[in-house]
Amino acid sequence: MTVINIRGENVDQTWRDVEVAEETRSLDSVILSFASLKEHIETLDQKSLSRIGVRLTVNDEIGEIADHARHIGLIDLVFPNFKDGRPFSTAVTVRRDYGFSGDLRASGDILPDQALFLARCGFSTIVVPVQFPVKQFKTSLGAYTIAYQAAVDSNVSQVRDLRRSAVEVVAE
Amino acid sequence: MYVYDTIDKSLLNQRVAEFRDQVRRRLDGELTEDQFKPLRLMNGLYLQLHAYMLRVAIPYGALSSDQMRKLAYIAETYDRGYGHFTTRQNIQYNWIELSTAPDLLFDLSEIDLHAIQTSGNCIRNVTADPYAGAAADEVDDARVWSEIIRQWSTFHPEFSYLPRKFKFAVTGADADRAAIKFHDIGLKIIRSDTGELGFEVYVGGGQGRTPIVAPLINSFLPAKDLLRYLDAVLRIYNLHGRRDNIYKARIKILVKSLGVDSFTSQVDAEFERLDPALFVVEADEINRIRDMFSVPYLQADEDVKARLEERIEESPQMRRWSDSNTHAHKTPGYAIVTISLKPIGGIPGDATAEQMYAIADLADRFSLGEVRVTYTQNLVLPHVHQADLFVLWSELKRLDLATPNIGLATDIIACPGLDYCSLANARSIPISQRISERFSDLESQHDIGPLDIRISGCINACGHHHAGHIGILGVDKRGEERYQLTLGGQGNGESAVGKIVGPGFDEDGIVDAVETVISTYLSVRSTGELFSQTLERTGHAPFKERLYDSN
Ligand code: HEM
Ligand code: SF4
Repeated sequence: MTVINIRGENVDQTWRDVEVAEETRSLDSVILSFASLKEHIETLDQKSLSRIGVRLTVNDEIGEIADHARHIGLIDLVFPNFKDGRPFSTAVTVRRDYGFSGDLRASGDILPDQALFLARCGFSTIVVPVQFPVKQFKTSLGAYTIAYQAAVDSNVSQVRDLRRSAVEVVAE
Repeated sequence: MYVYDTIDKSLLNQRVAEFRDQVRRRLDGELTEDQFKPLRLMNGLYLQLHAYMLRVAIPYGALSSDQMRKLAYIAETYDRGYGHFTTRQNIQYNWIELSTAPDLLFDLSEIDLHAIQTSGNCIRNVTADPYAGAAADEVDDARVWSEIIRQWSTFHPEFSYLPRKFKFAVTGADADRAAIKFHDIGLKIIRSDTGELGFEVYVGGGQGRTPIVAPLINSFLPAKDLLRYLDAVLRIYNLHGRRDNIYKARIKILVKSLGVDSFTSQVDAEFERLDPALFVVEADEINRIRDMFSVPYLQADEDVKARLEERIEESPQMRRWSDSNTHAHKTPGYAIVTISLKPIGGIPGDATAEQMYAIADLADRFSLGEVRVTYTQNLVLPHVHQADLFVLWSELKRLDLATPNIGLATDIIACPGLDYCSLANARSIPISQRISERFSDLESQHDIGPLDIRISGCINACGHHHAGHIGILGVDKRGEERYQLTLGGQGNGESAVGKIVGPGFDEDGIVDAVETVISTYLSVRSTGELFSQTLERTGHAPFKERLYDSN
């Protein structure tokens, strides 16, 4: 499994999947299903939570653990198919509303051409589907250098910022 | 006109390069058709019955004369010498090769044109009042706000994989010339009692198999909150719109199933959560855009009307054209001129390369270099001095572009139908041509008065048949092309969905049926009563009787 960051670089894979966790206290760097995490969440302190990841399908409602979300180590949002854009909005919500600053991972059926949008919506890592070369993700991440609208990666419209600084240069 | 600065241009160039790479990967087999499809769709490239079709965006229906020339050049170079103006104020080319599509997009980009987001499940090209900036009844120029929405929605990272396509329409005028209530979001610019600029927001309108007139969900959205509010609506839709059934995926179904109140309160709650700072459009940016749309000061000319009247007296033909194809301009002495793309027996919305070149020249001579596209598939010269009307009319006549039928029976909207479209049940274009020929007599058209006849080749309703006074829908009945007739729809000013009158007709039958409907109207109308008013008074009954009671 290849995982890249939003600069297109490979990242070391320390996280591993656990289907059902009987005992979570001793677990480190595991990714649980949402159901499994919910079951244990009240017993976990912040520190143990920060070493645990959770995988959400589009049917899981992250709002159910809103109060804990920002302490989790990794949140993995799965695209059931690349046309289903819900994880983009969930990512924005997780970053903005829940203040999540850990690793926000995109996995599942993703096209290389979506990589920049993923980055802009606050994802920090991407699980590269086997059928695509990493190179294509890299190309997509660099396809556009600025954007019209603010997003998670930028609180301002870079386009309008540039316009303003161009005006200032002329004014000088 | 909005002109791209180096920043807009650099983004557009990056798009052209990206698309070139995507096409190369498809041709090299690196992408499957299923993977390529959403990518090409976001660049307006459809696979139709015979070839690829490319849909070029004409943002808010506004073109410069140079852009019109480029559209003519594209028709000549990449297509068979013509283009088709659509009800979404775009232009479509029907005979495109995949391998040269990247060159085509490069050519377009040289003049700030593109096919970005003209299809796919994303925020589509924004449509607007074609008279914006020229109309006398306008609160503000719809193009300014449409351009702000264009920029915000272009390559939107979060809202490019929505449950279904998403269409905006904006009007700044009192009369609705953009059918805003038949869009996913319709915006009407208004001023509050205190003079603050804002919007009425209508959400969840549409046509297709579930035609709905959009309900009002916000009666005054301050202009400063526009993008923040749109962001809230789109996020609620992206998260909660249905994705299991393509026919139930539009926002109209979400609004309907939640109920307007519940939907609105979800939007309001999301709006409250959002940080206003993220959505500010600075006053200097709004002014920058506004300045680009402003035209040179036009000198009011109160006397020209009388002089024009004298000329018109001499030519009944010219009078007819001036009555139906010109509209009041905000500056006395000027007129808004509609160029009819509905010659008798022609294909609605088609224009040849020669016509497009000529229209560009006429726009330079008579209309400050501006052309508009209407959703009724005609073109507009928005700023014509009335002293020029006679010459303009003569020139248009020479080009077969002066049919005096705007808003009348032969100003028919028709979708491409079975002649081009792979989803069609029946042909639309030949039906519209036959109806047009049947009512070719101008005298009687003017006698019949304002009448919208609209034809779609299937229930997707690209031809707006739901919103036609007389709507025609192509259906498939055991492999045969049949046509259903609806009456009472409205898409101009008022919005209403027409109702089916009775059993369908075959190709000959539907043309006769339209004639029967019109002759019934003529026999039952009261003096001065429009078709829609008569229908409202009488209901379907007298029409039904005449249509189905022939033996
Ligand atoms: C020939 C290829 C075309 C295809 C495959 C196509 C496909 C569709 C489909 C599937 C819908 C229904 C969408 C829905 O209800 O969710 C639709 C609606 C629509 N299309 Fe087309 N269309 C085509 C051409 C056109 C043309 C030429 C125009 C303009 C003249 C047009 C304008 C519209 C409009 C105005 C609607 C209805 C408004 C709405 O509810 O969105 N389409 N089209
Ligand atoms: S209404 Fe149907 S037949 Fe006509 S263009 Fe749309 S999809 Fe094709």
